[in-house]
Parts: sequence; structure tokens; C-alpha cells
Amino acid sequence: MASDGELKVTSPVESIEALTKEADSLKAKLEEERQKLNDVALSTVADRLEVITYLNIKPRRVLKGHQAKVLCSDWSPDKRHIVSSSQDGKMIIWDAFTTNKEHAVTMPTTWVMACAYAPSGNLVACGGLDNKVTVYPLSLEEDVSTKKKTVGTHTSYMSCCTFPNSDQQILTGSGDSTCALWDVESGQLLQNFHGHAGDVMALDLAPSETGNTFVSGSCDRMVLIWDMRTGQCVQSFEGHQSDINSVKFHPSGDAVATGSDDSTCRLFDLRADKEVAIYSKESIIFGVNSVDFSVSGRLLFAGYNDYTVNVWDSLKCVRVTLLYGHENRVSCLQVSPDGTALSTGSWDYTLRVWA
Amino acid sequence: MDMMISNLQQQRQITEQLRREAAIKRINVSQAVVDIMKFINEHEQEDCLLVGFSSQKANPFREKSSCTLL
Repeated sequence: MASDGELKVTSPVESIEALTKEADSLKAKLEEERQKLNDVALSTVADRLEVITYLNIKPRRVLKGHQAKVLCSDWSPDKRHIVSSSQDGKMIIWDAFTTNKEHAVTMPTTWVMACAYAPSGNLVACGGLDNKVTVYPLSLEEDVSTKKKTVGTHTSYMSCCTFPNSDQQILTGSGDSTCALWDVESGQLLQNFHGHAGDVMALDLAPSETGNTFVSGSCDRMVLIWDMRTGQCVQSFEGHQSDINSVKFHPSGDAVATGSDDSTCRLFDLRADKEVAIYSKESIIFGVNSVDFSVSGRLLFAGYNDYTVNVWDSLKCVRVTLLYGHENRVSCLQVSPDGTALSTGSWDYTLRVWA
Repeated sequence: MDMMISNLQQQRQITEQLRREAAIKRINVSQAVVDIMKFINEHEQEDCLLVGFSSQKANPFREKSSCTLL
């Protein structure tokens, strides 16, 4: 910087001011627009629906084998197998029907925070504190870890991953506050997604098979909707008062549900471009780690730090029931691909299947 | 200096993002809610966790009975 005071670069300062001013007015305009269209509450419209009085969901299986907190799990497309990952550094492939372990892979790291099945069911991806996403082709003939392959590396922990549409690509979210799309074969970074100002904790793909949209949730309390092809953030939602731990598309594809450390779940509608529901109770004071919808979208399952799973009526915004069983935080949960079962994973080292 | 440029770039990105979001077409919440309810209504019968199974035999995770016919 020149010592001459006259040589100050003033234009960027002015531009920042102009841009900030424009941003402020755009924010106000956005808020006004959203409020204008906020003509009714979801629970009011749902008032005429019948109350869900009874659910016959029972604990059916307990999967024991991890030696530390279960951090993530994912159903196989075959609706029978489950992959889980744990703080103990292991990834286990379970036959959920028999509760047998088909594979147990030791990762070169503890806190394996994310795992996912590929659409073919022949490949799984996982990673965590190693900052990497590694894929393992599943074969019954040989040791799975001999064929492992590191696909991508973040500059901080990998918190979530999923295969969009095929076995050829993996989408990851990271503590480095970015999401990334990787080519499995070459390990090439195909697209980077910048926009969050905090650790990305969760992501989910839009349900449409041709969809190129995904949602991410972060410790910056923001929900962002992304276009996978352009890498651009197309929509953003705020409202949560603390870290967002889980995001999930409604099966209709028109809304996303979130779970947060602020002890609430919320529903954001993409077309109304705003929050349309909040699932909370005064008695619920613990954080939400994971959410998922039943296949119709009527039920929202949420796993909490108080060891329970709350089942919400997504329309009436009331709690239908609680699922008790776990003896520590419920860290992950997922409805099976055909909607016949719910899997839950916990810091009590076990996974459970409910149906 | 670098700091200033990066601040400028950052602010430009924020503003551009807001411009894009301001241009989004929106619908009334009432319309959005009706569409969500319609979707749910059309799929409720397939939702086993909601409506249960037609018979327990249809539940892949039912308890195994103590004797099975081979």
C-alpha cells in the first residue's frame, strides 16, 4: 500500500457500500414478498384431516457389533442390508433380516461420520475425520478393503455423502463448509459448492431421478438448495436458532425437512420459498440429529439427544408417538427404500429396525 | 488490500445471490400446502409405517414364528 494518503483505493470501498445497501434492500424485499404469500398456516389447512390415533410400529431387530457410537447408516436398495459407520473406525454391512454382519471394514480413522450405499447396491462409500471419501466395492469372495479406493479429499472432516443417481458420482459435505461432487472412477472433483459459512452437516438429493437439485444443512443455521450442474445455490432458508444436523426432501420434492440443535424440526417449502411448519413442543429441549419422512410424507421421524425418536404428523404439526428403545442419543435414522421399516442408530453402539 | 478485494468479492457474491433469489417465482403458502396434502393423500395407502401392513406376513421384519412349514 502506498504511503501517500491521496492514493487510497476508494472505489472498492464505495462498491462494498453500494453492494451492501443493495443486499439490505433485497433482503427486505424478499421478506416482504414471502410474507405477502403467507396467507395461511399449514396446520390450519390440515385441520380438517383426521388425527392419526394409532401407529403399529414396533422394535423388530437390534444390530449389535459396533464398539462405539454409531454415527451414520444407510439402507441398501435391496431393502434388506444396512451399512453403518461408527466412532470405533468401523464400517459394517448388516443383513437386517438375520442381524448377521456380512462385512466389517476397519477404516484408517476413528469417527467414520458418513456412509452410503450406491444405487446398484454393489458399492459403499464412507469417511469422516480422515477428510476423505473412500469407496468399497462389495464382494463376498474377497476382503472388501483390498479393492478400496479414495475418491475425494476435503480440507476438513467429511460429514455426509450420497450417490446422486448412479454409482459413478459421489456428493459429499464437509466441515470445510463446502459440498463437492466427485467422479468415482477418476477421483476428479466435478463441482464445488461454496455458500455455507459453517460446517456442512447434512445433504439430501431431490427425489426426482432426473433431478439435479440437492439440499444442504449447516452449522451456519442455513438450509441451501443447490443446482448440481452449475454449482450455484438457488435458494436459501433461515429460521433455525442453532446448528442444522439433518436435512431431508419431502417425497413430493416440493419441501425439505430439517432437524436442529435448537430442538425443533422444520418444514421449508421450495415453491412458497419459506418455512411452512415447525415441529416442536415445550417439553422437548434436546437437539435433533436426524430426520426422515415415511413414503407418503405424512410422518416425520426425528432422532433426538434424549434417546427418543419422535414421530410427527407433518401436516397437523403434532407428535403422534414416541419410539423408545435406545439407551443413548439417536444419531441417525432412515426409512427403508420401500417404506416398510425404519432404521435407527445410536450412541448406545446399536442399530435398531422398527416396523 | 487483499483483504479489501476479498471483502468486495464476498459482498458481490452475497448481493448476486440475493438478486437471484429475489427473482424466484413464488406461490401462496395455501397453494403449496394443498399440493403437499394432495401428494400425501395419493400415497398414504402405500405407506406401511403409517397405515400398517395388510397382514403381518407382508411385513418383512415380522417376528419369525417358532415353527415354519417347509
